[in-house]
Amino acid sequence: MKRPDWFLVALWTILVIAAALWVAPFVFILLTSLKTEAEIYATTVFALPAHPAWSNYAQAWGRGNFAATFLNSVIITCIKVPLGLLLSAMAAYALAQMRIPGRNTVFLAILFGTMIPFQVLLAPLFSLVNSLGLINTYVGVILPYIAFGVPYQVFVLRGFFRHVPKEMTEAALLDGANHLTIFWRIFLPLSLPALAALVILDFVATWNEFAMALVILQDSGRWTLPLGLMSFQGQFASAYGQLNAAIVMTVLPAAIVYLIFQRYFIGGLTAGAVKE
Amino acid sequence: MPALASGAPKPGRLGAPWQAVILLGPALLAYGVFAVLPFLDVIRLSVMRWDGLSPHAAFIGLANFRFIFTEDAVFWTAFGNSVIWTLLSVAIPPAIGFALALGLNQKLRGRNALRAMFYLPVIIAPIAVATMWRWMYDPFFGIVNSLLTDAGLQRLIQDWLGDRRVALYAVFVAYVWQTAGFAMVLFLAGLSNVSPTLLEAARLDGANRAQCFRHVTLPALGSTITVVIVLSLINSFRTFDIVYGMTHGGPAQSTQLLAFWAYTQSMQLHDFGHGSAIAVVLLAVTALVVIPYLRWTQRREDAA
Repeated sequence: MKRPDWFLVALWTILVIAAALWVAPFVFILLTSLKTEAEIYATTVFALPAHPAWSNYAQAWGRGNFAATFLNSVIITCIKVPLGLLLSAMAAYALAQMRIPGRNTVFLAILFGTMIPFQVLLAPLFSLVNSLGLINTYVGVILPYIAFGVPYQVFVLRGFFRHVPKEMTEAALLDGANHLTIFWRIFLPLSLPALAALVILDFVATWNEFAMALVILQDSGRWTLPLGLMSFQGQFASAYGQLNAAIVMTVLPAAIVYLIFQRYFIGGLTAGAVKE
Repeated sequence: MPALASGAPKPGRLGAPWQAVILLGPALLAYGVFAVLPFLDVIRLSVMRWDGLSPHAAFIGLANFRFIFTEDAVFWTAFGNSVIWTLLSVAIPPAIGFALALGLNQKLRGRNALRAMFYLPVIIAPIAVATMWRWMYDPFFGIVNSLLTDAGLQRLIQDWLGDRRVALYAVFVAYVWQTAGFAMVLFLAGLSNVSPTLLEAARLDGANRAQCFRHVTLPALGSTITVVIVLSLINSFRTFDIVYGMTHGGPAQSTQLLAFWAYTQSMQLHDFGHGSAIAVVLLAVTALVVIPYLRWTQRREDAA
């Protein structure tokens, strides 16, 4: 019988307590979302609701116009994520495998974009989109989303494509294939693991985006979920049960996607930042 | 063998330059128009007087900068808050993330589940984090004051987001909760690069845990630490959603940060000149960090 390592036992205990503390907010939100107003006033914070008040969800869904905001978020995310990633992958291929004059300069210019805080550029973005007549349109928000998604994705995918031996591309070129075919037939299938990671990462980022949507989607009929939640908080801040139900409904899709695809997610996140 | 030349001469086919344009063009176009152009435009607007809608913008030189530096009291409040915010953001979430990563790098029961728990807040929309914490800080029914009461610590009870001496720090706690997991994941990735054979060798030579950490693990994490610090720095400049959702910069501008004040000037007060001048100040500070960092990244990549 091995002697227990007391250092590890103590460490484990501390980490479990810390993790409980870390998820406590989620538990609190979930519990509140299932309580009636009376219960919120009368019971302690971690008391279980006597009868789960599912009606909070139904009411928040209706009053917060969730059907519309949910649909807008789905449409924008489902167009932006695949389209943006395809454009990034194409550019990354060109920068990694083709001999293009000045490609390092182009790459540096793109890399710089990973660091631009777009939160500072909301006003010129608004006036740009406005001058194109695209305020309150899906296109008006999808295009800036793609623009600010390109740098990180190109950075990661170019790194990935660079490690594919050049001989492979050259052999295919000699066989008469052109770069478009090589990209589509060879590199795109090859990069599926990296793409999967970026899809998950981008899905969550797009789903959660708030600041750009705030300035571009001003008509409540075009609002995405984060905007809808913000407005709900403004209007029904004291309907605590419903407010918390609204939070749960906003957060749940991203949380589910993360929990299912955890492995890919972390891969995509660390691919660009930390490698030796 | 030059790839560009090989596809060119065959008739009825796209030459390599055209292929390059097709592959590279769309992404560059989107990036150029919707990221680079606003970036240049904000610099242009910083020397203009403009309300954001009228057809004519007037050139006024550096008057916007003179205004924000000398007359706009809120700018300096926001500046001071941003400095505090950045210093805290660079120190605390990375430190917590580092500690968690070190712990969760050990062979522990259920460590994957534990990692997932610490990481979960990172994937929640910042605006939802703001809404959650606003409710948790609710003076009457929120969890924070309730738990303080249960613990017999009534004297610590506050209106967390309503008191201008504590509001910034209260918002920051929510920010720590959201961002520590990000640093943790980066550090875990860095730790996975620490050579196990080297650690084993150190242990066989009689090094204890502290010595292994000090002489093997820590030196191997050098570049990871740089990456985490720089990303934390840049993310702190980006802070917007959580302030918008929790306090809107109040009470009495006590949680006002530069990115949010730039937005407020332009989009709420319709003064694009002042807003852009503030944005330019923030961009200049960002560039001071980013340019050396990109050089460093580039060197490292060339070395790899």
